[in-house]
Formats: sequence, structure tokens, C-alpha cells
Amino acid sequence: MDGAFFDGRTSRPHQVDVAISEGALLFEAGGTRHAWPLEGLRVEVLGDRVRLSCDAGADGRLTLSRADWRAVLGRHGRRVEARGRRREGRVVLSLAAVGLTMAAIVFVGLPAASGPLARHTPPDLERQIGDSFDAQLGLGMKTCSGGEGQAALARFGHQLQARTGTPFDIRVRAVRAPFANAMALPGGRILVTDKLIAFTRTPDELSAVIAHEVAHVERRHVMQAMWRSLGAGLLLDLVVGGGSGAGQQAVLLAGSASDLRYSRRAEAEADARGMELLQAEGLSSQGMAPFFRRVAAGDGEKAASPLRELVSSHPDSLRRAQVSAAHARPGAAAFDTQAWASIRAACPPARAPH
Amino acid sequence: MFNSDNPTPEGVETLTFAQKVRLGSFLGLSVKNGLLNLVTLTLYRFWGRTEVRRRLWQAIYLNDEPFEYTGRGGELFRGFLYAMLLVGLPLLVVVAGAQFLGPKFAALIIFPIYLFLFVLFGFARFSAFRYLASRTLWRGVRFQLKGSRIRYGFSYLGYLLLSVITLGWFWPAAERRLAGPLWDGLRFGDRRFRFSLDAARKIPIYRAFIPAALVFGVLYFAVMGVIFAIRFAAQKAQPAAPDGAMIVLIYAMLLPLSVLGVLIFAPYQAARLRSVVAGISLEDARFRLEVKWWGMAMLELGNLLLLIISLGLLFPVVEARTARFLISRLKSTGTADLASAVQAPRGPGTGEGLADAFGAINL
Repeated sequence: MDGAFFDGRTSRPHQVDVAISEGALLFEAGGTRHAWPLEGLRVEVLGDRVRLSCDAGADGRLTLSRADWRAVLGRHGRRVEARGRRREGRVVLSLAAVGLTMAAIVFVGLPAASGPLARHTPPDLERQIGDSFDAQLGLGMKTCSGGEGQAALARFGHQLQARTGTPFDIRVRAVRAPFANAMALPGGRILVTDKLIAFTRTPDELSAVIAHEVAHVERRHVMQAMWRSLGAGLLLDLVVGGGSGAGQQAVLLAGSASDLRYSRRAEAEADARGMELLQAEGLSSQGMAPFFRRVAAGDGEKAASPLRELVSSHPDSLRRAQVSAAHARPGAAAFDTQAWASIRAACPPARAPH
Repeated sequence: MFNSDNPTPEGVETLTFAQKVRLGSFLGLSVKNGLLNLVTLTLYRFWGRTEVRRRLWQAIYLNDEPFEYTGRGGELFRGFLYAMLLVGLPLLVVVAGAQFLGPKFAALIIFPIYLFLFVLFGFARFSAFRYLASRTLWRGVRFQLKGSRIRYGFSYLGYLLLSVITLGWFWPAAERRLAGPLWDGLRFGDRRFRFSLDAARKIPIYRAFIPAALVFGVLYFAVMGVIFAIRFAAQKAQPAAPDGAMIVLIYAMLLPLSVLGVLIFAPYQAARLRSVVAGISLEDARFRLEVKWWGMAMLELGNLLLLIISLGLLFPVVEARTARFLISRLKSTGTADLASAVQAPRGPGTGEGLADAFGAINL
């Protein structure tokens, strides 16, 4: 049969006569005899032609009419074509196994390991990380100037610290920020924003929020979250790269949804432990429920919403209010009238620019 | 298929391009790749992309001989792993480590890294093109790309900075200049392509760019103004308005904006492609891309809609449409000695790792 041959050394075309003998394609071009074993032929179907290559032929390419190829080789030709499909099946299976393993590590293994990893993180390292966080946050969130209020907050932090087994020195302080929040940093620092202090109506509410943050420090939740997101981030990035395709984004989204689930669990745990700490000190734990009820009202929510909760790092506020109310007990106020007044005055309004 | 061992008396030919791209074949492939990506947490994408190229290359003909793509999915996968381990991980360690040095030190370390990332982006682009050339065969002979990837990386950074300083004014010239090393360094076997900036400049691009940039700029600020006005009004009426409605609004405005953007910039895109192709030559053969702005606009609008509707799943169809559009408009005059090219070396063993990490793969 007629064929067109390129020898893979130059682009010069050769017209060749191809014969089949002893399981090989035989042809001669430019004075050289070629024998290409049928086993191991690679076939590309190009409309009415096929382009053949093989390891023995290096870069050489032989083009035949598809009809010739089918007629002469019969079932063998189809078998060669099917070999490529089998190789692909193996690739897909191995990749699926790798993908599944990665998913198991990210969604099950890492979250399970994050607790022990956090517990075994040297406190000094955690302190160092916390200091670095604090320095960076300090660029945007300045410490409030009211010394008396700051001292009252710090005292309360140390009071609760004594009830915990934490290796960290708990340092609570008020900072100026454009939002209402309180946050525990790695290593024992707790920041309470001026907007949050203004939002709370009673000493009970503020003490409940701080106790919640102290519980985060005690349980090393922040370190756990760092281990989880570091591991998951690294592994998922390793899988999907920096790609922006929908599939790649979906994998990353699944990763962060899994992270949020664990984060909500940690929040619920901190709620419960925070109330325990207050009660152990003989303090009122009745501030948490009204606080969350007002947060929920601010969210514009009418009822606890599982859908909204799914995309949030915190459990639904109304649900938290219900749970807190059920476990609340009366007790002394964490701050006396004078301390409360000094805390409320810890962040005086910024002077207007001239 | 060939008349003799000697196609023309001196082996000299004019170049005729043709394509037999069947979009239906890429539709099926899109679905298959999408499903396999799902099963493999997107790891299949390297093999998927390889198959798209293989089908595309073999549907593009030069003088009745189809091109061939010889790249392997495994090569792309390994390239990606190397890039992650050799570049991604060290960068991550440096950036994370800088956090411990205090905010001022961190800024001192991170700013140069950002600049370096742009150099890396150019480096990655050149590397990806080099890999692509080395895996492209015609008549059994490989293409190759010569030139310095590092120099290309720094040119990329330089042109980018110039564009920033000139508020984007320099960017069209930069895009044309950046095409230079990619085409001037290209060889078919040992046959050298040339890129002449002077020849490329004969097709004006700023005439199409200036009105587009002005109109789009005005439009962009108008839309942003409307979004802010609505947001401001919504906040006054109901301070705790849910963000969801706002996000929907922003997307509802951005979609028509991107459609208009495609239409407005289509004359420039067409001119840019015509200009770059006019600068390319192979021996005495010169090239011409007969792309008009309306065709370009329809191509890009179709691509945009396909990608939005399918959430990116139909990317292979978009690539096939684009190749079909460009190849059927690619013409050549003059001749080149295509029959005496001598084989090029095998080229790099892995490819595109960095470009993939940057999400910067364009075929």
C-alpha cells in the first residue's frame, strides 16, 4: 500500500510502498529499510488517513489511508487504537485515588490532627506568632488610651486565667477599630474593639464575650485553625494550583466550607466553656444570651437559619442566644460601677482633624 | 499524497493553512474532561488540556499536512509539581517567615517579591511557549524556541511598569513588543522565523486603542458610580440590608459591562493580532491575518457567553472556536524552503508548571 513518510531527521517527504510481514510494517525510504513492529504502534486517526509512529521509528511519521490501515490490519488495527484508551483509564484511576487521598487528608485527617498539633505546638512559638499578628493588627487598630479601663479589662483577663490551665499570660485590651468584635490571638492576647464595648449594655454582656475569648485561648482554638488552614491551604493549592477555572474554585470552596464547619464547632465550645469559667468565679453568666439576641436582631434575622449558618464561621446568633439562656446562672457582676464606667470611657472619641 | 520525493524543484513552497476543526468533537471532550476533573479533584486537567491540544493540532493543516502535538499530560503534571515545590513553597516560606520580622521588615521583603512575581510571570509565559513549540511537529520535525526566559521575564516587568507609569498608554506597544521574542526566537527545525517590529508597526493599533480606552473608561466609571449610588441609597433606607442583593446587583451590572467591553475593544484586539502577524516571516514567506473587528467581536462575545453559561466547562470549545476563527483567516504570501528543515532537539522535559500555577495558560 502507498504511504507518505517523514524520517524525523528532515522535513523532506518520501513516498513509500508499505508491506506487512512477520508482525511489522516494512518500507524503504532514502535508501534505508524500516521495520516498525505492529505491537507498540501509535495511531492518530486524521479523517480519511492515519498517522503512525513508534519508538523504533523515533520521530519518523508514516501516513496511510485509513481504509488501507483497516483492511490490512483488521481487528489488530482496532486493538492498537484501543490501547490508548486503556492507558487513559489507568491514568484516571490513579488520579482519582490521589484526589481521594488528598480529600480525605484535608476534610478528615487534618481537622482530626489539628487539636493534637495545636496542643503540641511549643507555647513560645505560639506567643511569637501572636506577637507578629498583634504588630500587624496594631497598624490598623490602635490601643485605646484610657489607662483605668485598660487596667480593669486586664485584671478581669487574669482573674479568668487563674481558672484555666493555660500556659499563656492572658492580656485583654481595648483597641480602636471600625467594627464591633473581640478576638483571641495566638499566645493569649485578646483584643476588644471600641465598637464592641459601645455595643454591650451591661458588664455581664462584656464579661461573657471576654470569657468566650479566654476559652478560645485555653483550648488553643486559634492555633488549631491555623494548622487546619495551613495544611488544607497547602494541600489544596498543591492540587488545584492557582487556576481560576470553575472546577478549581469549587474544590477550594469545599475546602473552606469544611474549615468553617470546624470553626463553628470551636465557637460553640468556647461559648459553653466561657460560661463555665464565669460560673466557677461566681460571676453572672446571664450576659451572653441578651448579647447574642441583640446581635441577631442587628443581623436582621427573624429565626435561626441553618442556610445562613452554613456559610458562616460562627453559629447562628439566635441559636447561640437560646443555648446560652438555657445554661445561664445569676452571679456577681464582673465589673463594679466604677470599673464599668472606666471601660466605657477607655476609648474616647478621636479628635476631629483640623 | 506527494508527487515525488521532491515536492517542488528546490523544495520551496508557498504556505497554505487550512483547518478541519469540528466543534462537536470538542463539546463531547469538554463534558468528558469536566467529569474526570470532578472525580480527580481537577488533577486530570493536565491530561485534559493535552487531549484538547492533540485534537486541535491535528485539525490544523499546512500544505495539506496536519500538525501534531506530542506533549504528555504527565509532563505538564510534573512541571506543575516542580513549580510548586521549587518556586511556590520557597515563596510561601519567605512570605510566612517575613511575618515574624515585624510589619516594616515584612513590607520590605514582600514588596520586592511582588515585583519578582511579575518577572516570574514573564518567565513562565516564555517557558510555556517554549514547551508548546517543542511539542509541536509538522512533517515529523519539531519547532523550537530560542532565547532567554530571564530576559523575557525582566522585559515583562519593565513594560508593565512603563504601562503603569503611563496609565496604560504604553500597554498596546508593550503587547506588540512582548510578541517579538516569542516569534523571533521560533524555529521550524533549524529554519528561523523572524519578527520585524517595523513590519508590525505598518498596521496601526493606537488608532483602535485610543477611542476604545476612552469610551470604556467613561463607561466603567459610570457603572461604578451607579453601583455606589445604589449602595449608598440602600444603606440609608435600611442600614442592615443584606449583602446578597448587592452582590447580585454588582454582577448584574458587570455582565453588560464586560459584553460592552468586548465590543468596544474588538477593533483593537483585531488590529493587535493583525499587527503581530504582519511582523512574522519565515524566509521569504510573510503572513497576514484577515481579522475584522466585527468577526473578532462575535468570536469573543460567543466565547464569553459559552464560558459564563457553562461555568468554564466549555473552555475546550472556546479554544476550538478561536483556533478555527484564526486559522481560517491566516494567509501567507511568498515562499519558504519547508522540505529541508533539519530536526530540532527534544526540548524541555516538563512544561508550563509556573504558567499553570499563575493560571496563565492560553493554549
